[in-house]
Amino acid sequence: MGVGRKIRDWFEVRIGLDDFANVQFREFRVPRNVNVFHTLGLVTVVAYMIQVITGILLLVYYVPHPDFAFKSVQEIMNTVSFGWLLRQMHVVGSSLMVIVVFLHMASVFFMGGYRKPREMTWAVGGLMFLITLVFCLSGYLLPWTQLSYWATTVVTSIPTAFPFIGDFISRVLRGGEYVTGITLGRFFALHVSILPLIFLFLMVLHIFFVKRTGLSTPPFGVSSGQQNPWTAYRRETHPDGYPFYPYFVRKEIFMGMLYLTVMFFFITFFPTLFLPEEANTPADPLRTPSQIRPEWYFLAPYQMLKLIPNKFIGITLQLILVAVFLLWPFLDTKKEPNILKRPVLKTVFFLALIILAVLTIWGNYR
Amino acid sequence: MRYLFLSLLMVLSLPLGSLAGYREEFEREFLSKPWAGEQMEEDACIACHVAEKMDPKFRNIPQSWKMSIHYQHNVSCHHCHGGDPKDAEMSMSRERGFVGTPKYAEVPEFCGKCHVGILKNYLESGHGKALKSTGKGPNCVTCHGSHKDEQYIKKAHIDIINERLCSKCHSYERAKIMKQTLFLTEKKMGALDEGFSRLKAEGVYIEEEEKALFNIQAEFRTLFHTVDVSLVKERTDEFVKKLEPIEMKVKNTFHELRFRRNFSAFLMLLFAGMGIVVFVLSRPPRE
Repeated sequence: MGVGRKIRDWFEVRIGLDDFANVQFREFRVPRNVNVFHTLGLVTVVAYMIQVITGILLLVYYVPHPDFAFKSVQEIMNTVSFGWLLRQMHVVGSSLMVIVVFLHMASVFFMGGYRKPREMTWAVGGLMFLITLVFCLSGYLLPWTQLSYWATTVVTSIPTAFPFIGDFISRVLRGGEYVTGITLGRFFALHVSILPLIFLFLMVLHIFFVKRTGLSTPPFGVSSGQQNPWTAYRRETHPDGYPFYPYFVRKEIFMGMLYLTVMFFFITFFPTLFLPEEANTPADPLRTPSQIRPEWYFLAPYQMLKLIPNKFIGITLQLILVAVFLLWPFLDTKKEPNILKRPVLKTVFFLALIILAVLTIWGNYR
Repeated sequence: MRYLFLSLLMVLSLPLGSLAGYREEFEREFLSKPWAGEQMEEDACIACHVAEKMDPKFRNIPQSWKMSIHYQHNVSCHHCHGGDPKDAEMSMSRERGFVGTPKYAEVPEFCGKCHVGILKNYLESGHGKALKSTGKGPNCVTCHGSHKDEQYIKKAHIDIINERLCSKCHSYERAKIMKQTLFLTEKKMGALDEGFSRLKAEGVYIEEEEKALFNIQAEFRTLFHTVDVSLVKERTDEFVKKLEPIEMKVKNTFHELRFRRNFSAFLMLLFAGMGIVVFVLSRPPRE
């Protein structure tokens, strides 16, 4: 008997690995009309794991102090063996993660996967999307460059739009009136210890909800899924579906590979897309660059704030939109699960995507 | 749930009612914060010089300055002319150090406040001596330009030595020999400058090398402000040697960038290949 077999048997006797694999992978079935968008949840996990691993390795060399942060990042890029690769993966990965989480949410919305009994799964997913953005915001400042310093200055000034408490929120974020070393310390703590824990907790909760409710069936295609009203708990199963392993697992591995291919495509052909020249200049609080703009994923809300003459109305509107986004499953009480048969919702969905794209492009070029 | 949401919406919208009379104050407050967004630096000199009431011959000065090497290095009006750009009323006050425009013969000392080494060499040169003795020799702006008459202060460059400019005062022959002597070293420096620009565009931080090149350039240029061809010939090798480590560093950095691109392309193809294999294998099972 080989060593591998012995190790496997050792575990089998104690925790019943075969049974676990059978129940979780071989007997577990996915709907027959499952598509690649169903794999985006796992791609998000892959993206998060890449950020965690590269982040921990970057942490070995990074110094969270205004006098050393920029220098330590330059050391990582130019002196540490393959430090450039770790940083590029972390930087490109952060933007890709926003895209993947966004695509995941948009596809779930389009396929009606937020509907009863998955309201909590949606809300937790929405919170994870917001946490991802806070991750990006807090991580953006850490290299202490002109770009990161002034982008953080802009973003942390947004809460001042709130009367009475706005200044307080901004001061709490910055640890004072301006972005300083205190802000760097706060953002660093947030980025490497507080947010990962919150995100991990939400991820576990999200997966728990998915496991308890079962995979949702897309409302279009060969299988229309369970249409009975949800009056008592039951797990949605797909006895006539395809086995999770190997069929769906291969699909997920393919998407994981695609994610990594896209990541290395950007690192190879557009290495400066997320690290332009200003991201290579040390932060100088006394020298305001001619153009300040937040990172691309904040451009749409930033542009919206610029367009609305009253900042308070602007930020209130954005908070309302976030609330609608998180609580949408509770607001959508229509029986029809297929968005294609709901012209109003379909129009709102595509209009929202178009507005988001227009605001982002507009914000970038104005 | 809808009612809960509507209530939440109303609670959030309540403060809107308190906006009466608050909006303007709030807007002002928001926009005037030093960190609230794009800030234009207040500069009384520029504000006045671009104003309609300004004499047209002085109105072009800010534009010329923006095209100059001084602008590129954040050298502003008050750095040379003194005064207080933050206070319009006192901006041209002698109490605030305003010195105005120097007389022709005072220009070298005026520029030499910052360009100390070059002033010394210039004063020892034929150019400097001519200015001192006759008051008519070439001063700094004769070759480097100023912001008068649609000119702008150019970056020191070998092309400043040219027949049109030199022939204004004397024959070009000696200047030509000087230019030929400087050519090799200047060309190397120009190539390094260009290399730095490309590296910066590629996201490489090269501040140390830039500083080193700047120091060598400054030292080299103090040398040829002596207008002494034999001295420049004598010391050219010394400067070429000083440039070698920087050239090596730039070359190695380009090499490293090529390696990075190739390595990342390899990983991209590796994952793409693995993806294709998995894709081929992931067809739905047969019934």
